[in-house]
Amino acid sequence: MSHKFNVTLQAQLKELRTLAEMVEAFGAVHELPSRTTFIINLALDELITNILVHGAFDEGVEPTIEVELGLHNGTAVLTVESNDVEFDPTEDTNPDTESDLLARGIGGLGLHLVKSQASRSSYVYVNGKNRLTLEYDTP
Amino acid sequence: MQLEIVEDRVGDTLILAPVDRVDSSVARDFEEFVSNRLAEGNTSLVVDFARLGFISSAGMRVLLLAAKKLRAGGGSLLLCGMRDSIREIFSISGFDRIITICNSREEALAYEA
Repeated sequence: MSHKFNVTLQAQLKELRTLAEMVEAFGAVHELPSRTTFIINLALDELITNILVHGAFDEGVEPTIEVELGLHNGTAVLTVESNDVEFDPTEDTNPDTESDLLARGIGGLGLHLVKSQASRSSYVYVNGKNRLTLEYDTP
Repeated sequence: MQLEIVEDRVGDTLILAPVDRVDSSVARDFEEFVSNRLAEGNTSLVVDFARLGFISSAGMRVLLLAAKKLRAGGGSLLLCGMRDSIREIFSISGFDRIITICNSREEALAYEA
């Protein structure tokens, strides 16, 4: 059994709340654990923010982000596709999780959270788009 | 998009309880709010997560900056009331080793006393 929704966003941070509501509704309908819904929303916040704040877009390209969330045999599958220049978010971001408080930095933490909470992740750059797929096994 | 924060004061301790979501779209508002409260001279700060369902790394960054400012000035920041999903990301981030996290507001206030 497969269920999914698709949404194409105008690339703006204010879309995050609308998207979160869609994920919450999807999670409620399919009785996903609250933790799964939370980490999917976290992944969307971190990924979309990263694209909008750090992503580079070729001249004349309208920033577009496509999100698909599906459920396949108990695994939630999230796909985020964006038309910014090639960037692999699955590469190690080397966040600082060890330094003392006053020396602590936060760079790379968001993507580290995304990767560490997914059961599996894969990335491909195809047809001028970055496509990241994250899978979340549910108990 | 609005950021809602409920404020309380117990003795010299200021308690901030953000409501619903501190996501990337309101992180800047959250940063300005916290920064203003520190600029007013508050040195004992508790952030109560009891009404917070979601926070991303942009919101966590604000807390890290506040913790640094307070520590450098001899003050303190305590966090409390986190649900499991949020507690988990504070653990993965190693924030739980540099910022004190209490189970409840009462525990945080007792810790401050």
